[in-house]
Amino acid sequence: MGAYVVRRLLQSVIVVVGVTLVSFLALQAGGDPTYLFVSERASQEEIEATRRALGFDRPLHVQYLSFVRDLTRGDFGQSLSYRQPAMEIVLEALPATIELTLFAMALALILAIPFGVLAAINRGTAWDGSITTASMLGQSIPSFWMGIMMILFFGLYIRLFPISGHVPFLTPLLSGDVGTAFANLPRTLYHLILPGIAVATYSLARNTRLVRSSLLEVLEADYVRTARSKGLSEKRVLIHHALRNAWLPVVTIVGLEFGFLLGGVVVVETVFSYPGIGRLLFAAINQRDIPLVQAGVVLLASIFILLNLLVDLIYVRLDPRVKLAGGRG
Amino acid sequence: MISPMAPRTLAARAAFGLLATIALAGCAQQADDTIVVGLSADITTFEPGMISSRDNANIGDHIFSTLFTLTPEGEHVPSLAHTLEISEDGRAYVYTLNQGLTCHDGEPLTAEDAAYSFNRIADPANRFTGNIPGFVFTSIGFEGAEALDDLRVQVNIERKNPIAFGLITEVYIYCKDAYERMSLDEAASNPIGSGPYRLASWTRGSEVVLEKVRDPGNFQRIVWRIIPEASTRTAELIAGNVDIITNVVPEQIEAIDGSGRAEVEIVSGTRRMYVGFNLSDEHAEMPGGDAIQDPAVRRALQYAVDVPTICRQLLSVECERATGLVNIQNANPNLEPYPYDPETAERLLDEAGWPRGDDGVRFSIRMQAGQGRYVNDVNVVLAIVQYLEDVGLDVELELMEWASVYTPLLRERRTGPLFFLGTGGGLWSPIYDMTDIAQVESGTNYTNWSDPRWFDRWPELVNADDPQEQRAIIDEMLEVFYEDGPWLHLYFQPDFYGVSNRIEWEPRRDEHVELFEARLRAQG
Repeated sequence: MGAYVVRRLLQSVIVVVGVTLVSFLALQAGGDPTYLFVSERASQEEIEATRRALGFDRPLHVQYLSFVRDLTRGDFGQSLSYRQPAMEIVLEALPATIELTLFAMALALILAIPFGVLAAINRGTAWDGSITTASMLGQSIPSFWMGIMMILFFGLYIRLFPISGHVPFLTPLLSGDVGTAFANLPRTLYHLILPGIAVATYSLARNTRLVRSSLLEVLEADYVRTARSKGLSEKRVLIHHALRNAWLPVVTIVGLEFGFLLGGVVVVETVFSYPGIGRLLFAAINQRDIPLVQAGVVLLASIFILLNLLVDLIYVRLDPRVKLAGGRG
Repeated sequence: MISPMAPRTLAARAAFGLLATIALAGCAQQADDTIVVGLSADITTFEPGMISSRDNANIGDHIFSTLFTLTPEGEHVPSLAHTLEISEDGRAYVYTLNQGLTCHDGEPLTAEDAAYSFNRIADPANRFTGNIPGFVFTSIGFEGAEALDDLRVQVNIERKNPIAFGLITEVYIYCKDAYERMSLDEAASNPIGSGPYRLASWTRGSEVVLEKVRDPGNFQRIVWRIIPEASTRTAELIAGNVDIITNVVPEQIEAIDGSGRAEVEIVSGTRRMYVGFNLSDEHAEMPGGDAIQDPAVRRALQYAVDVPTICRQLLSVECERATGLVNIQNANPNLEPYPYDPETAERLLDEAGWPRGDDGVRFSIRMQAGQGRYVNDVNVVLAIVQYLEDVGLDVELELMEWASVYTPLLRERRTGPLFFLGTGGGLWSPIYDMTDIAQVESGTNYTNWSDPRWFDRWPELVNADDPQEQRAIIDEMLEVFYEDGPWLHLYFQPDFYGVSNRIEWEPRRDEHVELFEARLRAQG
């Protein structure tokens, strides 16, 4: 397994470098960023001076190779707009997004399992129909629209939840200020409810359908029939025999879900003025703040790759039939 | 004896307790000594040499003071300095500071600090690219600043400049020792200013909190919250969580005014909106580019667009059409805005030698515009295109992404032959508004206009010491611009602010959000 992990990690480096190249070229294709850093009345000389100051006067390949060289030293450069180390700014925004993502994932998982099971064991009934229809709706509603509607209803009309903002929990916790972190926790959760639901809705709907279909498949299997014929209670059959095997596709999705949600919270973070990495990167892309975008992209890509690896390893533990390529399982 | 609780009961109680705490957390009330402003754009730095956006500068204006300042009406008044003397050759500006000034860390603020504030920004080693080095210093030809004694600081500029006094009001002043102690990184997030408020906290992407250290200012705390989404800003205002919001979109005016908790204040801004005629040789060879070379055609098209209707229908305001590039209060009073008169437009186009063809088209022309930059810009552009087509033009419209596509073209002066644009102006000097087109080769002469009746007057204008003589020159130049200029005159962009009923505050016309005079509304 060790060799497998090392090989996967080496492959990951190639993927990360590829990602930086693609994002670098995509940002450059958007035009000369210099104009975004000068006053609208700046003269041509000022524009030239700024272009030199920002390093955009160098040929593209020189700019990129210089970035890669710095990257190998762990230096992502300075954000062009913040004038601070780019990775520092990204890492500052990351905890807020992790809070939102974990909260949304928890919602999507905790609710998806009972809904999926309920639909599966009541296949063809009104329960099943309602849950399936609600799931399809959940997958169809755009998260930004959902967010705005929730702001209007829960934030403005009945005033139950805050409309926007964020109270940090992980940031003080990671800096060792445990007291502040836990003192903040109720307000952190309070501020997470609306954006969390907006982010979780799509995943909740998809997970519910996945649990339902996976469970339905397992419930038809021979070993479940055998378990039933042994006279086991339906509850025991469901929990000890069916659900255990229905987990595999769910674990796969959940593992990747974190990466998907992490990169997909941009719109929701903007709607709820939530100071996370998605909104930061969105603003950085608009501002052509290349070092900041690169730092964010590398971080997100790395998280996604590591999660993929983790899912593969968990899979092996859950299903003895799965073997790692080139490994002994 | 306390009996052990069943795990299920314990979990239920814990969950209830957490929910109750969460619910209580949401009941926080806004304090009377705090004002909250919702901004649309993020704040990136507090480094005076790097601040470039208006939102960022609006916070900076509360942290840093300047030597003199401009009132909302455009009057040049003392701030940290009480007098200004300008040398006879117009190249030395001597400011005398007030006694007893200090910075936020308690350090006395002297002329040496003021000179340092200028020179630090200009130091090429710092590679600053903000508004002060990038626009102010290059516009005035800044050469250096020096302390003459403890209270007198002299700012030297390359050549006489009739608007240097106003541009210098944008230069923030701070203390030398504090900034010499800090690295550039530290200075970007730990401003130690000279203004009435100091930075209390900055949560990047979320909020900036300022605390009052001296007058003026009626609130102890100012909280600037970053709320990029317009509908969320509106919701926060109506919910009473924010006192002032910027950039209200016209579609939400009714919701705010109807809420009973806030109202929308609309001011005619100083940003001049126009359709530019690009008169470059390159554009003269394009379809329609040859037609607009003729001032008579440009004049005819002024009559084709119904600007008041555009304002009323698309911007939700009544507006007065511009007569040129100078804000109305400084404009030539003898010029009347062009009326909407499509028949006159058609007659003048016929007379200029561009009659309608068999297909009803006089000439084809391309119009370019960026989108998402100005209030309702796409709809405004579509309306203008329709008006031009009504008088026989065949307009090919190209809408472009603002930042990466339109701006580079604009800066290279290659947009057009027709293009839609708004450029920032001011109320304090007509010459400030006119400097967009101070020289044929000016970076902001996006139209490549070169009429000698305008450009040859500049040396005379700059050297005129008598205000009446200067005014006469300005009026003559503005008449040329009105008659034969390179702009199809539109309007001054209105600015929309949402203001809570809790607050008394008057927005300025120049996009500055200044809160020193804001106060709680007296309870009736």
